[in-house]
Amino acid sequence: MNDAETASPTLGGEVGLVEYHDFVSSEPFTFEDGRVLPGFTLRYETYGKLNAAGDNAVLITHALSGDHHCAGVYSLNDKKAGWWNNIIGPGKPIDTSRYFVICSNCLGGCQGSTGPASINPETGKAYGLDFPVVSIRDMVRAQARLLDHLGVTTLHSAVGGSMGGMQVLQWALEYPDRVRSILPMATTARQSAQAIAFNEVGRSAIVQDPGWNGGDYSPGNGPNVGLAVARMMAHITYLSDEGLERKFGRVRKSARTGNHLDVEFEVESYLRYQGRSFVNRFDANTYLYFTKALDRFDLYGRVASAGNEGVEHPAETSSATDACTHLASAFERLKARCLVVGFTSDWLFPPEQNRAIVHAMLRAGKDASYAEVNMDFGHDSFLVEAPELYALVEGFLNS
Amino acid sequence: MKRSAIKREVDLQILGDWISPGARVLDLGCGRGIFLEYLRQSKQVYGVGVDVQLDKITSCVKRGVTAYQGDIETAMRQFPDGFFDWVVCSRTLQELDRPQAIIRESLRVGKRFAVGFVNHGYWRNRASLLWQGRRVVNEVFPESWGERRAMNPVSVGEFEEFCAKEGLTIAHRAYLRGDWRTPCSAFPQLFAGYVLYEITR
Repeated sequence: MNDAETASPTLGGEVGLVEYHDFVSSEPFTFEDGRVLPGFTLRYETYGKLNAAGDNAVLITHALSGDHHCAGVYSLNDKKAGWWNNIIGPGKPIDTSRYFVICSNCLGGCQGSTGPASINPETGKAYGLDFPVVSIRDMVRAQARLLDHLGVTTLHSAVGGSMGGMQVLQWALEYPDRVRSILPMATTARQSAQAIAFNEVGRSAIVQDPGWNGGDYSPGNGPNVGLAVARMMAHITYLSDEGLERKFGRVRKSARTGNHLDVEFEVESYLRYQGRSFVNRFDANTYLYFTKALDRFDLYGRVASAGNEGVEHPAETSSATDACTHLASAFERLKARCLVVGFTSDWLFPPEQNRAIVHAMLRAGKDASYAEVNMDFGHDSFLVEAPELYALVEGFLNS
Repeated sequence: MKRSAIKREVDLQILGDWISPGARVLDLGCGRGIFLEYLRQSKQVYGVGVDVQLDKITSCVKRGVTAYQGDIETAMRQFPDGFFDWVVCSRTLQELDRPQAIIRESLRVGKRFAVGFVNHGYWRNRASLLWQGRRVVNEVFPESWGERRAMNPVSVGEFEEFCAKEGLTIAHRAYLRGDWRTPCSAFPQLFAGYVLYEITR
């Protein structure tokens, strides 16, 4: 997500001042990898009011670098509102005067929820790499406990982009009776080799920074260079060639020092800013854990992805129809209505991968729609104000 | 009443009558989803619409109609044989890029194919060409040559000949006169303005 964007004007009213809360679950939690934590904390925010039936809730799930603060401001001096403030609020497409909107920082995160930077009660030190491997499913199962705590019986909808889109897909599969509709966008049922490749470059930058020290570092003294480089690289994959060209072109910084390796072009300065500000708010180990969760997410299931388990060729060499059949059988249990939104300029999770989700759902006889919004902001398009997207989200939630 | 509204009305009435309750229906060129909404409400069908335009899909979503934005041939390729009971082509047949391929594919994924189109063999269309040497410009075809997009006009005779050549069965047909409402009982090739067919393998 874009750190440089400031709060933008919107159609409806504002959520206004908000505060976060911490939900502490003291029941043991077993991760998909088999390991158990005695409990966990999820930091979350809610906007709007839950109705008596507990079924007007909309769960917002965040992307890799996102957090629980998706709307409103903490103080009137805040320069930036929550990351999806443009779409959430009274009278906005995700209307907080109708819906009880919930967003939590994912399990394994670093913005207040339990993650690798949290203190392990057994050792009194940060978990670091001792933290259990986190999957998208683990994130979702932790969110379900938060909903129990909040008294949410059924989700009216779950909405999210990118890694958030994976979570809402997982929600509909994990709790088919607890979620009426899902709205995944700019997402995929499994990442392509290219997306995994980019994540691997980011991870390499982090683990090769001496500051990483096998994941054992004190707050603020981690692999800052590696994390910033990972972020700069990843940030390019969230935008598009046209988008960057339009925003920066070859515009140069005005003041130049004469050193020929100094920041020269605006785009360099922008990326360095993205890298710097990311280091201040994000933990490198969480970055490693979350990118691994993204890479391993695979709704096509074992059969279709068997290529990596002994067979030489990747699953894609089996026919596309076969893969679609496998994905369709994964969606058999789905009960929620679904709208998938792809973005034309998204080359990280391209329209084709968003379509594939709907193809498989339709094959499974489900109520699944696909819409494609033409925007040149790349993968991050879902975060940008766009009347077309607003109409889809509003129309879907209220239909 | 506008011609597009009459077309919608007769499509609803006649196709709606042919399609049995609870059927699985694929609507090619579903537009704003009015037909599928009607079928869902009156016949409890499982309907999927396909359209290339985002604003059409948005309207469908608002109506609660399942819709897929994309090319109709790509969309159909995703489905196994006989997945739908009906494939409905509610766009005018003359606007399809590859009608033969689309009809064949429709009858692969669907058991029945339903289509409604304007008969270019209708006497007024012929008269215009015969007396004025130009294609008709009227309410149905309002644009003059320069404004009109590519179109592949079809007549009753041509379509039925196509079906015969392809070995397809015309299970139902409805010929309507120039007002697109009154049944046309004689010489449909000449006197039918709008026609509807149910085709099976």
